[in-house]
Amino acid sequence: MRPKSKAADGDIVRAVLAGDRERYAQLVERYRDRYARYAARMLGSADAAEDAVQDAFVRAYDQLAQCKDPDKFVGWFFLILRNRCFAERRRDRTSASLEAAEGVAADDRTDGGAETAERRRALQLALLELTPDQREVFVLKHVEGLSYGEIAERLSTSVPSLKMRMHRAYDKLREQLRDHT
Amino acid sequence: MSGHDFHPLVKQLLDGDITLADLPAELRAEGENALRLLAAVDRTDVSVPAVTWRVMAALERRRRRVLPWLLAPALAVAAALILWILPAKPATPAALVTVRFVLVAPEAREVSLAGTFNQWDAHATPLVRTGPTGVWTATLTLPAGQHQYAFVVDGVRWVPDPGAPAVDDGFGRRNSVLTL
Repeated sequence: MRPKSKAADGDIVRAVLAGDRERYAQLVERYRDRYARYAARMLGSADAAEDAVQDAFVRAYDQLAQCKDPDKFVGWFFLILRNRCFAERRRDRTSASLEAAEGVAADDRTDGGAETAERRRALQLALLELTPDQREVFVLKHVEGLSYGEIAERLSTSVPSLKMRMHRAYDKLREQLRDHT
Repeated sequence: MSGHDFHPLVKQLLDGDITLADLPAELRAEGENALRLLAAVDRTDVSVPAVTWRVMAALERRRRRVLPWLLAPALAVAAALILWILPAKPATPAALVTVRFVLVAPEAREVSLAGTFNQWDAHATPLVRTGPTGVWTATLTLPAGQHQYAFVVDGVRWVPDPGAPAVDDGFGRRNSVLTL
């Protein structure tokens, strides 16, 4: 028998839908940290990211029967989290504060000194000044390391439109960070 | 294109389509500058171990809210049986203590109380905003003994009581402790 920890996403989703509710914890365990990083960079705060990831998992559970392809659970979950993050930024637009950026980037001063930490903080703040669409493509490519093709598939859009968004983001970041580059 | 825009070739460099060596000499400095920007990208992991427990607890709380309705007919029968079997003897009332919970949260839209006394149901015990200063209160009558609890702000943020001692809940969060 295959160990539970190696079970495919689709198998777990089908088991949960069949009534084995506890197995949902395996999906949460498997993806929470990976998507918390995305949410933290999108929202500018690790605490807000934790709340967003929690809400998204609860919402995904509620709507699990609507997950048309259980084997692609994570792509479907990502869209729920993405909507949550976009809604949060709309609600909380004015909170793109220094504290928010510090919440994400201030703890890692050990791997490059104060200058690197300062640069990171400045970049995180500048990211919060981008539109959510621009910020998202930047985070998915340069934080999560996805290719344009992978991002296009995930967001159901085209590579040229992603590149346009990204290139605008580069220019805006350069403008924001002209004292740091 | 404004004076602050990157050259299109530098954008290709940032996209990873070309390398620094592919840039003409006059764009090298701009290219290096741009790569420094990418070097500042924070790729550190964000670890949220408590999320697993919090999600499963949220699902459990919801299930518990549904269960009593399903069990109500069976419990009614059981209660009737117990009343019939037990001798008519007055029960000793447990010591009860009235407690006022207070949280100052001016920005909150709603605050509630979840704890061992309401099966950690974040919706069972809402606090009332008592004035324009953002003071939220709830008065409960609880059995004597030890209780653990936390405030739930806006339905999502679990906050320990700043005016009470707290203990680790074993999942990276702090629960407030009240001993009556």
